[in-house]
Formats: sequence, C-alpha cells, structure tokens
Amino acid sequence: MYGELGNKLVQHAKRTQSLAHLPPYQTELVRAVAREVRDLDRHVAHLLNSFSAEGFNPSADPATACALLVDHLSMRRNKRCLLAYHRVRTAKLEELCWTGVDVLEQQLPAEEGGDAPGPTSMSSAQAVGQHSSLSPEEEEYFRQYSDMLAAYKGQWTDVDLTGSLEPPRDLFIDVRVLKDAGEIQTEYGAINLTKNSQLYVRQGDVERLIAQGFLERLS
Amino acid sequence: MSYYDVDSILTDSEKLPCTFELEVPGLGVLEGNPGENIKAGTQLDLPLWLGEMLSIGARLGTSRLVTLDIPSALSERVLNALKADPRTIDLRSLAPHFYSLSERVLELFEEEEMVDVLLNTFAKRAAEIADHAHNPKGAMGQGVDFLRGLDEMERQLFRVAHEGAKEVRVWAGEAKKRP
Repeated sequence: MYGELGNKLVQHAKRTQSLAHLPPYQTELVRAVAREVRDLDRHVAHLLNSFSAEGFNPSADPATACALLVDHLSMRRNKRCLLAYHRVRTAKLEELCWTGVDVLEQQLPAEEGGDAPGPTSMSSAQAVGQHSSLSPEEEEYFRQYSDMLAAYKGQWTDVDLTGSLEPPRDLFIDVRVLKDAGEIQTEYGAINLTKNSQLYVRQGDVERLIAQGFLERLS
Repeated sequence: MSYYDVDSILTDSEKLPCTFELEVPGLGVLEGNPGENIKAGTQLDLPLWLGEMLSIGARLGTSRLVTLDIPSALSERVLNALKADPRTIDLRSLAPHFYSLSERVLELFEEEEMVDVLLNTFAKRAAEIADHAHNPKGAMGQGVDFLRGLDEMERQLFRVAHEGAKEVRVWAGEAKKRP
C-alpha cells in the first residue's frame, strides 16, 4: 500500500515532539519514501507514454485517469510526510539552539583538549564512525542557525537574549568544573577553569557555561 | 489544520471504507496484490487522503470513481453506545484521532444527528477529563481505564487542564516550582 512508509515517518515525528532530545535521523525510511516517489513517477510516465501521440483525455479513459490520480495523490502524500518529518526536526533543532544546548558537542564523547568543536574535530569524529543522531544536512543547518542566532544576538551587547528569564536568587554561586574550559575573563579578573576544581563565582558570568555543560551548579 | 501539522497528517491516514465503481488497471496494489486489476464493486479500506479525493468526481456529478461509506469508528453501533453513556467508550481503540476524524467525515456526509451526538459526547467527557486532571487519583485509581481511552485531542485537553491547575498552585505559592 502506498504511503505506509510515509505514515511511519510521521509517527516518528509525533514521538519526536514529546521527547526532550532528538532521536536518530531515519535515513533508511526517508530513503525508502523517496524511492517510492520515484517508482510512482516512473509508473505515471509509463502510463502516459502510450498516449504520447494523441494526448491524454481523462474523460475518454476514466480508469487510467483514476490510476494516475492515485499515483499522483500518493506522491503528494509522501511529499507531505517527508516535509512534516523534517520540519518537526528542524523546529526541535532551533529550539535546542535557543536554549543553548550544543547538539554537535553532545554527539561527541568528551574530547581531549576541550576546545570548541571546530570543523576539523567534527570530521575526525565522523571518520572514526561516530554515530550522530543528525543527518549531515541537519548538522549544517544547526551550525548555520547557531551562527545566525549569534549574529542576531550580537546587536545587543548588554542584553543576553538567550539568558535565563528567572531572576537569580543569589549573585554568587558555587560551581564545579566538569570539563576544562581554559581561562575566562570576568569583571573581577580572570578565572581559570580546570577540571574538578570548585569555584565561587558570579552567576551571570557562568550561566552560559552551565548551559553548555562545562560547569555544574552546586546547591 | 496546517500542511505540516503532524496530527492532521495522522488523521488523514485513518481508513474509510470505499467501493470502487469501475475497473481500474494495475491498482491491485491497494488490495495487496500488485500487478492485478481492481474490479468494479471491490470494497476497500482506503486512507482518508486517498478516498476523499477519489470520491470528488462523485460529488461533482461527473464520473464517480469510488463511493464512500461511514467508517466503523462512527457506525450506528458506536453512536448508540455514545448516546447511552459517552464516558464508558474507549475512543482511542476506535480511532486515535477520533474527533478530527469525525470532523473530516462530517465534511463528506450530511449527518445532523451525528453532530449532536458527538457534541454531547465531547461536553460530557470534557467535564470528566477536567475532574481527573484536577484531582489525580494516581496510576491505580478507577480513572485509569477512562484516561487510557482518550483520543489524541482529549489527551491534549487533559494535559493542558492538568498543567494549568499546577501552574495556578505555583503562582499562588502553594506548591514549589521545580528547578
């Protein structure tokens, strides 16, 4: 039955909506749906080929018209399923971007060096066969969306658009460093974030680092 | 009802009994035997997205391809049960998107009585849902069977009602907000 694979894809999308993280990209399913569309298209071309001389008249041959309509509707249906699936996922990616979760970073196991994942570290991770839950296109989308968001935020230096909306209870908090993050500059001078050290710092300075998973807040 | 709405797409895939009015070559795929023809008079359960469009010819008065029937989820038997007591029916087992399916079906059929029955069903069940959402009796309470039988739209309603009550308690300072 046509459209059943597309249905499976949409059910995945439905499940994705209620999850906090992004489940793996259904490469196989997407490919299978695209293949179905190509098969349908070939079928339509085949049906129409026999009419090439005099042109196709639907009212003269309602049975063939019906077969064509079914093919066409199935293709349209598959298109809708594919688009909806990808849209749900991109919406999720955008949401993660705004909340400051670095999906690309999460994919990788904690790498030595602790630098931000540049393009080189990404490709090397993929070469090792690191399984990512994003398709390559989605990774590209995420990277470019992050860049765009950063550029947009850059217009207002004194407001952090993605900062927390909760008023802080304390100005200073205790944090533990989970990953080496090097030296950061604050109003009160530079602090050095070495793994496993514990610090008493201003909340506003480290909020981003907590969201990114470099620091852990101690209550 | 947006193009990208996942629930609307899933509603579209609910099945509708259709009867083919003419022989179509090569459409045996729909029946599960590819390569075969489909005979006139064949009865098939087709998804809404297919059946609806195929039946359009019938409504325009030109050549009709298929005739539609009311899906089993909205059969006379179900409507009678809904009339008797809407709260004991497991809508989810009938159709996961029961209400949106009914909406689509009512666009295709003139069924004045069905509208009244469904409206009454929704109102009665909504009150019950609100009750459960505000006074959770836990996973072992008597409401479990009822809550399991909610359709997708009612689940949404339950979630919203439940969250709403919780938010109000937080706002009033009665409950602690989780970090």
